[in-house]
Order: sequence, then C-alpha cells, then structure tokens
Amino acid sequence: MSSCGDLILDPVSTAGVLSAKLWIRRGSSCDPAGQRGGHQLLGSVLSRGCGPLDHLELADLVEGCGAGLRCDTHEDGILISLKCRDLDADRLLPALGWMVRQPHLEEKQIALERDLSLQALQRQREDPFHRAFDGWRQLAYGPGPYGHDPLGISTDLQGIQRPELMQLAAEIESRGSTLALSGALPDRVSERLEEWLGPAPNATTTVERNACHSERRSGTDRRSIGLHPLATEQVVLMLGQATLPHGHPDDLALRLLQAHLGSGMSCLLFRRLREEHGVAYDVGVHHPARAAAAPFVMHASTGVDRAALSLDLLIRSWDEVLHQTIAQSDLQLAAAKFRGHLAHASQTTGQRAERRAQLRGLNLPDDHDQICLKQLDQLQASDLRDAAGRHLQQPQLSLCGPSETLATLEHLWNQSDYGSA
Amino acid sequence: MGLCHGTLTAIPSGAVLNHRTLSNGSSLVTAAMPDAALTCLDFWCRGGSAWEQRGEEGIAHFLEHMVFKGSRRLGPGEFDRRIEALGGSSNAATGFDDVHFHVLVPTDNAEEALDLLLDLVLDPALEQDCFAMELDVVLEEIAQYRDQPDDQVLQTLLERSCSPHPYGRPILGWESSLRRMTPDEMRTYHRRRYQGPNCCLAVAGDIGDNLVERVVNGPLAGLDPADDLDPRDAKLPLMTFNSGRDCIRFPRLEAARILMVWTVAAASDHLEVAGADLATTVLADGRRSRLVEHLREELQIVESIDMDVTTLELGNLVMLEACCPEDQLDRVEEEIRRQLELTLSTPVSEEEFARAAQLVGNGHRFSLEAPSSVAATAGSQTLWGRRRELLAPEEDLQHWDASTLSAGMMPLLQPEHGFTLIARPEEVA
Repeated sequence: MSSCGDLILDPVSTAGVLSAKLWIRRGSSCDPAGQRGGHQLLGSVLSRGCGPLDHLELADLVEGCGAGLRCDTHEDGILISLKCRDLDADRLLPALGWMVRQPHLEEKQIALERDLSLQALQRQREDPFHRAFDGWRQLAYGPGPYGHDPLGISTDLQGIQRPELMQLAAEIESRGSTLALSGALPDRVSERLEEWLGPAPNATTTVERNACHSERRSGTDRRSIGLHPLATEQVVLMLGQATLPHGHPDDLALRLLQAHLGSGMSCLLFRRLREEHGVAYDVGVHHPARAAAAPFVMHASTGVDRAALSLDLLIRSWDEVLHQTIAQSDLQLAAAKFRGHLAHASQTTGQRAERRAQLRGLNLPDDHDQICLKQLDQLQASDLRDAAGRHLQQPQLSLCGPSETLATLEHLWNQSDYGSA
Repeated sequence: MGLCHGTLTAIPSGAVLNHRTLSNGSSLVTAAMPDAALTCLDFWCRGGSAWEQRGEEGIAHFLEHMVFKGSRRLGPGEFDRRIEALGGSSNAATGFDDVHFHVLVPTDNAEEALDLLLDLVLDPALEQDCFAMELDVVLEEIAQYRDQPDDQVLQTLLERSCSPHPYGRPILGWESSLRRMTPDEMRTYHRRRYQGPNCCLAVAGDIGDNLVERVVNGPLAGLDPADDLDPRDAKLPLMTFNSGRDCIRFPRLEAARILMVWTVAAASDHLEVAGADLATTVLADGRRSRLVEHLREELQIVESIDMDVTTLELGNLVMLEACCPEDQLDRVEEEIRRQLELTLSTPVSEEEFARAAQLVGNGHRFSLEAPSSVAATAGSQTLWGRRRELLAPEEDLQHWDASTLSAGMMPLLQPEHGFTLIARPEEVA
C-alpha cells in the first residue's frame, strides 16, 4: 500500500457508510517453514498497538466511533477491513497505515494472541467438517503453502516469538497491497490518503509477487484417501482436487462446473443426493478464488447406513463432469447462476470493496468480472468437459466419521477408478 | 491510482416503508430502494415451531422443506430451476415464532419471481413420495446438528431454561414425532397457520406499480381471513422461564463453555430491546467492554466471551457465552458473576454509554445496505404489527442514558435471574 499507489475508489451513495478493505499480498501461504500460523498471528497483533496508540487506545478510537475493524488472514493475503461512518473516516483511516507500517508487536500482546490462536485451533477440532477439510488439504497440498489452515499448526505457533514476527512485519508490503474504498467517500480522498497513511516505505512492491504459489502433492508422495475417525453419527465426505488459480484461462469453465454441480437448489448434487435419494442435508462444492491451485471439492455429510451410497453418488457425479457433456439447458442455467452470483456478491459496500481489492491482490484487471460475463456466451458444454479433463482427473477423498464406516468406504474407494489410480 | 470503472453506483439508504393491509388481513410492506439492482421478496408467516401442538413437534420446519418440493402447478425442482435461471436465489428459515421464504432476483424479474414464490408457499403439493424422501433429509439435518457440540450445548441451555415452553424444544423437532407425521396432517397445519392475518409479504428494491398491483390482486389476497380461529391458534402459549444452574459433560467438546441466559421483555417492547442491546454491548462487545477487557485482556482466562439478544415475541433471550480451558472454568464463572454484580455498584459511565450507543446505532445502520436485509427487517416487524421505520431503532437508543441503563437493565442481568449452564468436555477413559 503506497499512500497513493494501489488505491481503488468506488463511490457509492449510502447512508453515510464507508467500507475500506486493505488487501496485503502475504497470507498463510507465505508462512515460513516451521512458522505455520505466523501471518495469522502477525495479523491479529497488528491492531494490538500501532502508530501512536496502544491496544486499548486503538480500541477506544474504533469502538468509540461505533466502527468495525478486523484483520483476517487468508491463504493469499491479509485482509484488513474497516467499516465506519464517512464522518469518522479522517480519524479512522490513518489506523490502517499504522497497523501495516508501525505495529508495536509487544511481547505481552503477542503472547495473548498466540494463546487465543492455540485455543481456537483446539476448538476447531469439534467440527467434523473442519476435520475432513483439514485432512483433504493435507492430502492435496501436503507441506506446500496451502497445506495448513491459515490459523496455523499448534507446534509451530508455540515457537513463534517477537523476532519472527518482526521479520514478517518487515516484509509485509514486499509484494504490495491494495486499498479499496467503497461507499460515501470523504472529500479529496486520494489527496488526503497520503496525509492519513503516511509516506510509502522504500517499497519493493514489484518483487516476487507470485512467489508463494502453492504446490500440490504429486508422484509417489500422493495419496488418494485420508481417514479421520471420530465418534459421530454422520460421515463427512470431501472429494476434490487442487486445480487452478483465479483468472486462469480454464477458470471460468470450472466456475460454471461449480455452479452446475453445487450452486443453488437446482444443482446436480442437491438434486441427486437430496431430492432423488434423501441421503444428505448439506451438499455443495467448495471452490474459492485463489492465487494458485484452488481446491475444487464436493462435500456432503450423511448417516453411516447410507454413507456408501453417498460416496457412490459423489463419485458418479465427478465421473459425469469428467466424461459427459452437460446438456445445453444445464449450461445456460449454470451461466445464469454465475451472473446471479456476481450481482448477489456486490450488494453492500463491504462486498464491493473486498472484491475490488481481491482482484488487484490476485493481479487481475479491475474489469475481470465484466470480461468473464462477456466470455460466458462463447463457452460451450464441450469446453467444460475439456477443462474438467485437464484439471479434475485425480480427485482425492477425505472422510471423517466412525472408524468402521470409514473402513468400508475406503474399501469402496479403492475399488473405484480414482482409488486404484 | 485507479478509479474503479469510474461509476457512481447507488446503494440506496434510508428506504421509506409503505404498509398496506389487504382485505383478508394479510400485510404488504414495500421498501423503495430505486437504485438497487436486485429485488428481495420475503414472505413471512406466524408459523414457527412455537405454534405446534402436541404431536406436531418439527412440523413447521418440515413444512418449510416440503414447500420447496413443489406446488400443484410447479413440479418438484421447478421453482428452484426457474428462480435460478432468472439469476436469482431462494431460501427459507424457520424460527420459534415465524417462518419466512425469500427470493432475491434481478429487478426486471421480480414479477415472475413473485408469482412463483406465492404459488409455491401458498399452495404446496405435499405429495406422499416427496414427503417420505424429505423426511430422510430432515433426519439427516438433525443428525448433522447432533454432531456439532456447539449446537448441542446451546440446545441444552434452551431446554433447561425454557421447557416446557416450545422455546425449549428444538425447532427441527423430534425424530419420533416427525416419523409419525403424514401429508394430511401437514396440509391441516398449513391451512391452520397460513391464513390472511398470519401472513406478510415484504418487498425491497426497485418496485414498480405493477408489482404492488400483482400482490394486491394475487394469491396473498385470496388467503382465508381466519374469522373463526381455534383459540389455540390465536395466541402463542405463555412463556415459561426457569432460572438455575446446571453442569453437564458433552462428548467431543474440545473447550469448556459457560452459558448464561436471561429473558427480558418481548420483541414488541422496542425500548427494552434497545436497552438490552446497549447493556450487552457495554458488557461484552469489543475490547473495551467490561467482560472482554477483564476476562480476556487482563486475566487472559477466556478464549472468547460475548453476549447477544435474540428477539422473540414472548420474551427476548439475552445470552452470554464464554469459551475457556476446562481448568479455568471455576474462575471464569466466578469472574463473570463478579462483573455482573459490579454493574449494580459501579454504574455505566458516560463514556461506556456513548461507546455502546455508537456501536449499536451504527451496527443497525450498517445492516440495512442490501435489499435482503431490509426486506427481512421490514417483514418480521410488520408481521407482528410493528409498523416502524427502518431507522426507528436508532431513535429508541435515545430513550436511554447511562443512569437509566444502569438502573433499568443491569439489575435484570444478574446471575440469580438467569440460567447458567456449565459445559465440560466428556472425560476420556
């Protein structure tokens, strides 16, 4: 974030609401070896004292304005979000600059956040969906940059001290950052940002922008199934593959497949697992926008007595997108969902600012979504099948549930084309 | 610097509401958001789980599922396909007091979506084949919740504090009663609850005259006016609340929890709702709130601690939840009690009040950007006869100050008036 460099202004008529999203291109995929969770810990400490304010003075400022300020660490970046009245922008926007450029990183505050992170990691283990996805992540990415939860790994977190965070903080803008403002913008905002945010450091914003690309497991190191026994009523099934970066030439085709398979109540998985067989309540496809190989994961949870059928249905659905061309009517429906999704995802100032910051953060043009909309009409059903053939050939399965059921499902998986591959 | 697309797109603000009552007693509320690209249609009915009679436990939620299986004119799945082909989305939610079904579509398609929504909700097919299949789905949903320790702890708290009132029962119902249900019983329930005075449609977006005309002359106006209601269907059963304390071990809990719940006034008492929002913000919203500052920042004995207010027609529930290591449980409980008691001797300061008023007021204002949240707010209020402007809750805050909040709300939120549940992880053999 230079004071007037990568800045996006998105004026929107609101009831005096301003959303600011600062996307910093260093996320958990940039965690150094042995420091998994480092960027998340850094992000959480940024608001615990920065610039002229200590952690309580900053809280007084933000909460006193009735504003919201949070910092979330994702795989590809740290996202600082501020939502406030436009009247308070003068007082609050400088805090974004202080957080990034003048964090205090006090030992006591680091220790507190580290402890909170360790407890949060422990609590996540209650959720069988989380366990199954964590397992899938391990299968697909192993020790690679996307191989761990952004919150980190307990053993690594325990060892991260102030010197390590000082190092991460020194590099925080090394890949650049983007500030997007959406809503009721203050007057002369671009001029005043330099005053609020201070001068840019001697930035090296052009270096190694894509240096954190995720690797996926391959060759002999690659397993196709992971089992996570847990005494639950249901089994959580996650079937998927590490695929593409957002903006890849095949990305739009995979997004349409995601819409076809897992978006809305007309999608294939919903119809097949819920309406035709009644074997699951919650089904879908997880396919986030990522800078490198994004997960493309079908998920469902089902009772143990019908887990084998559910797995079979998931495998069959995967097979279909790989080997069959979807009907023209299904292609049109998927395209309509894609258009609808873009409209749904830009209703609030927060959504608008985040999408704009994210696109720049991923080195994509501001009009990326508009370009995709224009390309929609040219895509054929065969393009989707061909893209699936290029990127969905080797799915991996992660299961969480009672161990006896997992053993049965493992046997079934090993007999399938993908398990024996 | 890049000026993104150079556009000035308007997300409307302060939408003005227009309320109408149709001849059969049903309501229509519109929120004009002329620059919104999407329009939300949100149908509300006084048909939540609290209206269920003995043997019907779970029918309100099961009906919500069955509605999406089609109407007499729309085959199974046809509604979803058509709404999503319009670039829209749909969903529904069942609560204790009410249920709502909503669609969000590009504005040009709002009329078509209106016809589809009202047809689906007011004339569901409830066919036997779909009924049996959907029962399996509902049972899977119940199983999924049972696998989440968080949900189990919360449900146990409600059961202990609110039983035998329906607020103490799972909205999803009981497997035993669900398995005994028939499509005919569901039809009877639908006829009983989906009557004119029990229903409200909220529309938020760029609303044309045609859309309003279509509502006024459409199936909403054709609902039974419910002139001779069974007394059991006219009023919700009186609320019961049990104060007390319990300690229970839960399987697969990884962190201990302390939950407390109180009942404070009811949704219709909007000044009390504002007071509860302010009090919970003083206590547990933000690093400078009393409980967060003391337990998390200073003593460092909790991972998280927060409070929220659930507005319900018979009594709002104020809930507190703290997560902590099991070995800190006793101390955390003691400190929470001490902090709550301290509110009686150390009144809310002017600074604390100002901070809370800003947070609550802005939180409300920030939540009204999208048509779906505007429609939900307007619909739920209108359904229960509260025809208030969207920003009226901000005015409610002005009825309070630091001293009235201290004297009026804090005494209600004392441990002895609430129910405390201590949730411990199950001991490993």
